[in-house]
Amino acid sequence: MRARLAMAVLGGCAVLLAALVLGPTTILPWSMTDVERQVMLSIRLPRVAVGALMGAALGASGAALQGMLRNPLADPYILGLSSGATLAAAGGLMAGLTFLGPLTIPALAFGGAMASGLIVGVMGYRGGGIWPERLLLAGIGIGFMLSAGLMLMMSLSSSEGLKRAVLWIFGDLGIAGWSLVPMGGVLIGIGMGLALWRARALNTLMLGEDLSHSLGFNPRREAGVLFLAVGLMTAASVSLGGMIGFIGLLVPHIMRALVGPDHRVLIPAAAVGGGALLVVSDLIGRTVASPAEIPAGIVTALIGAPYFLYLLRRRDILGA
Amino acid sequence: MIRLVIVCIALLAASASASMAQARPMRIVTLAPSMTEAVFAMGAGDRVVGVTDFCDWPEEARTRPRIGGMSNPSIEAVIGLAPDLVVMTMDGNPREFEARLREFGIKTFVSSAKRIADLPDAYRAIGREIGAPEGAEALARELEAALSAEAPMADGPRALFVVWPEPLMAAGPGTAIHDVMTLIGLRNIAADSPIPYPKFSLEEALMRMPEVIFLGSGSGMENMGKIAENLLSRLASTPAVRNGRVYYLSDSLYRLGPRIVPGMREMRRAVEAGR
Repeated sequence: MRARLAMAVLGGCAVLLAALVLGPTTILPWSMTDVERQVMLSIRLPRVAVGALMGAALGASGAALQGMLRNPLADPYILGLSSGATLAAAGGLMAGLTFLGPLTIPALAFGGAMASGLIVGVMGYRGGGIWPERLLLAGIGIGFMLSAGLMLMMSLSSSEGLKRAVLWIFGDLGIAGWSLVPMGGVLIGIGMGLALWRARALNTLMLGEDLSHSLGFNPRREAGVLFLAVGLMTAASVSLGGMIGFIGLLVPHIMRALVGPDHRVLIPAAAVGGGALLVVSDLIGRTVASPAEIPAGIVTALIGAPYFLYLLRRRDILGA
Repeated sequence: MIRLVIVCIALLAASASASMAQARPMRIVTLAPSMTEAVFAMGAGDRVVGVTDFCDWPEEARTRPRIGGMSNPSIEAVIGLAPDLVVMTMDGNPREFEARLREFGIKTFVSSAKRIADLPDAYRAIGREIGAPEGAEALARELEAALSAEAPMADGPRALFVVWPEPLMAAGPGTAIHDVMTLIGLRNIAADSPIPYPKFSLEEALMRMPEVIFLGSGSGMENMGKIAENLLSRLASTPAVRNGRVYYLSDSLYRLGPRIVPGMREMRRAVEAGR
């Protein structure tokens, strides 16, 4: 399975290169005009970086979350973090806040995600640790509440901010610049590190809490650490480029079918798969209808879902 | 005797104006900003009793009761105003809404204008419906004169009209903005877009090297300059930004209505001043 992971990493690198070279115009790195160099450095590179980071974060947190909650339908967005991020970002856009310049909205999104994550965490906490079922239901409840708040805000607003908010919610990578990459990279790196560090514990959680306990792990505490990891990655990803569906839910299943259920391999594999899928989707989205662009989130599901259904038919994904 | 004659004449005049008033709608509701602007410009603004949330021109239109948005007007609010004519457009109003109004026995008029070229005839049709044919004719003539007088500039610059900076949305073919750009002689770099208002590729905006960039900043977009800063810094290498040929225009061309003519002049003035 490690060999498959290595292949996935190689494939991921190939995708990154392709996404840099291809596009509305093909740019060859060894013979660039001035304009092409600028397109490469200030548009394609940051865009590919943001796509790879977001996709990796969503894929990895989906894999960790599905294992921790022992629920194949778990998706990083189910914990209510994305609703918190969206509500805060949309509120900021509608109120016209600009206190941090261009970083205002990403900062608000991250703050909103962490705040709702904190509430969900408190609701899911009891007796020294996190209870997965409580966490899941708390996330769904908070998510509904915050979404309703968002709808209320939007239905009462008719300003320019509303348009900006809608555009933000249908997040895409078209506006990605370098400014967010360092912070996003650090946060996602920390989250990914935490998840990988607890990957062995996560494997035992899959066997049930009693067994996990007898193998020397404290399931509730492990769930807490993993929740923090997932929260960091999801919040950073949402603040990088809004919400992108499909990846967090289905890429882990695809990768589980390909590399197996061991989280030490599955989490990095889902990160690579998620990153590659989002980068490819964005490449397609910015190329096929050029000069117009199709948001990456749409393409992601369009190409990812058929492949997932194919795998579902061919292999026993849930049993893997 | 003279007094009696005067009273008779006054009575006659009053009854005549009363019968004329019955022939033309006295309680008009307009369901689109462009329609509101047209009806006001035809001199029938005093008979407009309801407008959409987005109708902000002329200033007087803001004082009228609101009936909701263009795509989601409130049927109750419209009926509550007891209109004798509702002026709608195929360019943004839902068709089912017209059917529902008719079910309630409310007279409707739907303008089918979608391009500038359709507009003069659309004005005349609206004018007949609302009983303001002279105002409509004047409006139509003004536009026709402006259209035929507009000589495209020779070797017009490549231009980009930014409707929204982040993510970049441009005005493409099929919009009044594109039509006006073409009339003036500008070469719209988004002319090959498959849709009217595309989310435009930032890469292509750089590669196509626009010599002029317009930023539409209408009402409610006062901080457009701030939002656009980021976009302009990323388009810093384009001739337009390098040569300082970035122009903020009003939202005149956003609506297929009477402000097309001043909007056209505004755009032309901006381009020519920078030459």
